[in-house]
Amino acid sequence: MTLPKGFGSGGAGGASSSDVERMIGKRVENMTGMITISYIAAWLATFGGTAAGYFYYPWAYPTPSGHYAFIVLTIIEAIGYIFCVKVMQEGSNKNSNGVVAATVAGTAVGTVLISMFVGN
Amino acid sequence: MIVTMAQMPALIPKEVEIQRLKKIWLIVIAMGSTAASVEVDNFVDGSLHQTSIRDSAFTPAHWWLYSHFIALPLGWGAAAIYDRKVPVLRGPNNSMNTGLKMTILGYLATMFTIGVNEMWHFWFVEEIFAVPNHWMFNMGVVVAFMGALAYVVRVYARLVELGAETPGENPYVAEMYKMALEGKLYSRAIP
Repeated sequence: MTLPKGFGSGGAGGASSSDVERMIGKRVENMTGMITISYIAAWLATFGGTAAGYFYYPWAYPTPSGHYAFIVLTIIEAIGYIFCVKVMQEGSNKNSNGVVAATVAGTAVGTVLISMFVGN
Repeated sequence: MIVTMAQMPALIPKEVEIQRLKKIWLIVIAMGSTAASVEVDNFVDGSLHQTSIRDSAFTPAHWWLYSHFIALPLGWGAAAIYDRKVPVLRGPNNSMNTGLKMTILGYLATMFTIGVNEMWHFWFVEEIFAVPNHWMFNMGVVVAFMGALAYVVRVYARLVELGAETPGENPYVAEMYKMALEGKLYSRAIP
């Protein structure tokens, strides 16, 4: 197999396991932390966006409408988050079900609390 | 280390290819969530237009709507740059993937139509869906979606081919995957 310059042993033989690891870089099953931070950032941005609506344009964008959008979007984002982590870890020995459950539960509780107490 | 096109290998180890395809899949899932959220925004924007008839580009529903026009091209751009590292995703003559080319052509048609549409609305103010100036919007978006779908199916079929994903339990779905892997489900122009 022809490997890029710098990989392999000078033309003879194929890729060694250390070559394969170098070509891979950060493995997808180890990206749970980054994916979780992205999900939480997206959830906070969703809160910010809907809050901007009902705080700055209350005549046009009523609070219940903003909360409704916030709840539906949180569900969509949570589905995407679960897909990301599960697809990245399938077939590997990694398992981050606890992190995913805690994060989704946290945002679910946060969404309910925000919907009950913010902007009303 | 920078690897230029000429140095890119035609074959890469299976493990490397699965990892790279899954990184592309991460981008695809993120863009799918973004697209789904904009479907919600269709209702939010519609509701806002019913309440506040006089519109501006700077309503929350429009921030949301217009920012996805920036987020999705950035996401597809990242996919297009990164997928050079996956040989099976290259188009003919080492060019860009055919599905991504179709997507770009479709959205170029849509962008051109923005000008046509503005010119039309200079004389005709009404917003009837079926007027000719809107046709190319819809045709362009459909071509773009077809290309994106071809790309996403290609990535997924390759993951199935590598054994990283399991085909559907439904025999009809499994048959569809088999045909896709044999190149009978979509154009052979996609390598």
